Amino acid sequence: MSPSLSRIRNVFEPMNSSEVAGLWQSRFGIPEKAFAGYRFFRKAQSVWMISASELPNLSYEALGMRIMNLKDRPWKPTTCALQILGKHATKNLVHLNETQATTFLEGKSLPVDTNLEPGYVVVLYREEVLGCGLYSRGIVVSQLPKERRMTSCS
Amino acid sequence: MERYKDIIPNFEAFKAVLHRPLFDCCRINTLKIERAKLLERLDEKGVGWRIFDWYPFGLKLDVQSPGKLLESLLGYIHIQEELSMVPPLLLDPRPGEVVLDLCASPGSKTTQISQMMNNKGLIIANEPSLSRVTPLRSNCERLGVLNVAITRYDGRNFPRGSFDRVLVDAPCSSEGRERRGPGVLSRSNRKRSLDLQKLQIGLLKSATRLAKPKGVVIYSTCTYAPEENELVVEKVLDDARLERISISGLKECPGITEWNGETMKGDLSKCARYYPHINDTGGFFVAKLIKN
Ligand SMILES: C[S@@+](CC[C@H](N)C(=O)[O-])C[C@H]1O[C@@H](n2cnc3c(N)ncnc32)[C@H](O)[C@@H]1O
Repeated sequence: MSPSLSRIRNVFEPMNSSEVAGLWQSRFGIPEKAFAGYRFFRKAQSVWMISASELPNLSYEALGMRIMNLKDRPWKPTTCALQILGKHATKNLVHLNETQATTFLEGKSLPVDTNLEPGYVVVLYREEVLGCGLYSRGIVVSQLPKERRMTSCS
Repeated sequence: MERYKDIIPNFEAFKAVLHRPLFDCCRINTLKIERAKLLERLDEKGVGWRIFDWYPFGLKLDVQSPGKLLESLLGYIHIQEELSMVPPLLLDPRPGEVVLDLCASPGSKTTQISQMMNNKGLIIANEPSLSRVTPLRSNCERLGVLNVAITRYDGRNFPRGSFDRVLVDAPCSSEGRERRGPGVLSRSNRKRSLDLQKLQIGLLKSATRLAKPKGVVIYSTCTYAPEENELVVEKVLDDARLERISISGLKECPGITEWNGETMKGDLSKCARYYPHINDTGGFFVAKLIKN
């Protein structure tokens, strides 16, 4: 099957693990071994990661976790994937203090004082990955999905 | 509900407890955090907790809207009914096995099974309803689950497979949820249970077909109606045998063997019934079957 078919027919098409690992390595410095033991699939513009070695012949709605979206430039990591893979990241990290973390968790933008390459960043608080942010010109925009945000009053 | 007068022990105490609300419960998601660390965090926040007597990863919580806790948003805990944690425990999945969860959404049990398998092996989480696939996916993602593949078959016609273990957490009349949503019991009736029974028998037969020889099949509901419980299990006893259920720290009552004057075949007393006034929980039914 040619690579373009998955985009037209909406089927899961196996992907090379080093192709996926390479993208995460170059943006976040995550070592390739963090991707060992998983299989990767592409469906439309999404990449999925699953730990199973063999998949029965069935029609699937989802295969493991959706870890990235290739639609836009640059590609975008999902928050749930960053929460797992982000602990291996060595660059494009933003460490927040408590007040900033609260703002981020509420889904808002916040000014940060760092020198990062513009693009997606791993956002941490107390060594814990909170999720994905989009950094440019001194501002981090929270990319937390709505249902994962804190409500301001609590 | 009066039709259960003769099968529920201490019926007056049963009726009395239905007006008492339940504590919210959660499961510690060890895929993302160690148990001790999570408990420490709850203490730091001043959230009251009590570990279940029968399961070290289940907690009763004393807090408003536990789903809004940061620990919940980050997937360190999952809000889940106490007895909903029973079927995965009895299913007893091992890392590396292939497991089918035939009626999966919203995935409380799927994700518990994943945690028990340490994110290894494969769980097929089946859920025909498209709108219910969304919460199933979202829970798997939040909880950091990496060994679940989702399918959307009608469980009765799930096409093929030879699974080490199969869970049928069947759609049911939910009478056991009365303490969460008062009124369920008064709306429930035999006719509705008989309608559900057709679907439930279809699902359990399909599950038994899909398990490999000697494979484990768990059938569970959160209802009291024998039509949806023992009378469903009875239909697969030619292809599987029942195993007696006993969980230390949790009191079960035996499955019933007679209903409406008729005696059922097989030793259905090996099934377990859980009543709200006995463990201060909701209500639940579960059967453990070993395929021939
Ligand atoms: C009791 S709920 C399952 C709860 C779930 N196991 C959990 O622990 O979160 C029953 C589910 O069965 C699904 N269902 C209904 N008809 C079905 C069928 N024919 N085959 C498979 N699943 C079905 C319902 O949509 C519902 O999501």
